[in-house]
Amino acid sequence: MRGLLLKAIYEVWLVTLLCGLALLLIKALLTYILPQVMTGLSEIFEQLPFVKSLITALLGSETGEQITARTMQAFLWVHPVVLALIWGHEITICTRMPAGEIDRGTIDILLGWPVSRRQIYWSETIVWLVTGVCVISLGFIGHRLTAPTMPDEMRPELDGVLLVMVNLFAMYLAVGALSLLISVVSNRRGRAVAGSFGLVLASFLLNFVAQYWSPAKPFAFLSVMTYYQPAQILEQGDFPWRDVLILLGVASVAWLVAGEIMARRSIRTV
Amino acid sequence: MLLNSVMKHSAKRHVIQAERLTRYYGSRVGVSNIDLEIPPGQVFGFLGPNGAGKTTTIRLLLGFLRPSSGRATIMSRDCWNERARICQQVGYLPGDVRLYPWFTARRALRISGLIRHRRLWQFGHELCERFSLEPTLPVRKMSRGMRQKLGLILTLAHKPQVLILDEPTSGLDPLVQDELLRLLKSLAHEGHTIFFSSHTLHEVEQLCDQIAIVNKGQIVANESLASLRKQASRSVTIVFSAASIAQSIEPPSVLRVESRLGAQWDCELIGSPQPLIAWAAAQPLADLTIGPANLELVFRRFYHSPGKDL
Repeated sequence: MRGLLLKAIYEVWLVTLLCGLALLLIKALLTYILPQVMTGLSEIFEQLPFVKSLITALLGSETGEQITARTMQAFLWVHPVVLALIWGHEITICTRMPAGEIDRGTIDILLGWPVSRRQIYWSETIVWLVTGVCVISLGFIGHRLTAPTMPDEMRPELDGVLLVMVNLFAMYLAVGALSLLISVVSNRRGRAVAGSFGLVLASFLLNFVAQYWSPAKPFAFLSVMTYYQPAQILEQGDFPWRDVLILLGVASVAWLVAGEIMARRSIRTV
Repeated sequence: MLLNSVMKHSAKRHVIQAERLTRYYGSRVGVSNIDLEIPPGQVFGFLGPNGAGKTTTIRLLLGFLRPSSGRATIMSRDCWNERARICQQVGYLPGDVRLYPWFTARRALRISGLIRHRRLWQFGHELCERFSLEPTLPVRKMSRGMRQKLGLILTLAHKPQVLILDEPTSGLDPLVQDELLRLLKSLAHEGHTIFFSSHTLHEVEQLCDQIAIVNKGQIVANESLASLRKQASRSVTIVFSAASIAQSIEPPSVLRVESRLGAQWDCELIGSPQPLIAWAAAQPLADLTIGPANLELVFRRFYHSPGKDL
């Protein structure tokens, strides 16, 4: 396992570092400019009422008539750039094996070593989890670096932020496990990446559209974003047990199924 | 059940064994009813044209592909179910070696050593020197031949009992090819079993004791090199003392005359040379040349054997 992990580190350290640093900067920047956005928000809502609907839809939940400063903090955790960085990183990691290895032809070297496919799968899982913690933690650090610049009434409470991070990590697990599942049934990395991005994009759009368009509402439960509710967590301060358990359930089932397929499938080069 | 017990008994004597090994790709047949029995220390040549099923057979032996039917074992272990254990004792060189671009010989040997729980650097370094490969050069800066050398080093560094080599000389210059063949011969001499897949007759002829020829997914011949040589015809050139004699004489049954030009016949010898020599002694000949056994003709015959269309 040590050899497999060392190999994985050689392959993922750069992309993890770049994504982590990018997230740190973005979160620091968003945290810094959020109070300034909030200052003129009421005027913007009066002049352009649809902006409020857009923000409500982006936050993915009914925020009531008033979008409070606390609710707006959730914007830091659902900003499309933030989600794109986190998803981009994990899709890159989770489609490396076997789709990526088959695609570039290195699977022969990997399977020529005396390691079982389950060992390979475990090592990839460890790398996916550890790098995910690193990237999300760097985002958290970025947020905390500039949080002191916020006015007192806007400054997020650490407890609430940590609960949001737990919810975010649960979503990270669900999306990553689904990417692993797509990867183990693919021979081409491009297809696996496209499938995974298609999944998260559809999920994001479904959650967004369901706020506006009532025919889409019955299907909103299919979106992983439905179970990621930073606005509610920050507003109410409760741990979202139901959402986190659903996300962990999806992640566990997808991960187990992907592992079984990986252990049993024939590996053909393309 | 019966197949399993028969294979278990027989596998004690054979390092690599396959019985009715078949693999379909959808409705297309990759290989069909492949039977192999390779004893320890044998250098087994696996010859066939491109797309004949050589690589599919290798991938079945290494447990990359699940057989559609039949079974293969290496050192009495099932190739599909016990792949990881088998790979402890196997060195595998893929046909088209693709390595991680960040690999250097040093890094690759370190990782391979950690995975195999063995120190590979000492022998690996010797191999680097033998093949003239810089240990710190990354794969992304290597030529195709250098990548092939690194692939070979990784295959050989742990001194495996069984070597499975899929066209190992491709991309290597003639000097390195010779070096590799010398190394493989010495390994075979030490008792290592070598499964050598190739479509180049010359190197198989130089190295192998036993040769299987695969065509259209089926083994069409599986014989010792000596036996194949016996089947090989020889070219014969006969020069008579006068052109008129050459035109009037009837050839013996062991000779197939391919051309007659003046006093000279160019022929193919079918069977043993003794009857020819006896016949020649009674003829007014100016010269007689019998060439070496030409295996290429035998292989061409097998390659073009109609077989089943798969």
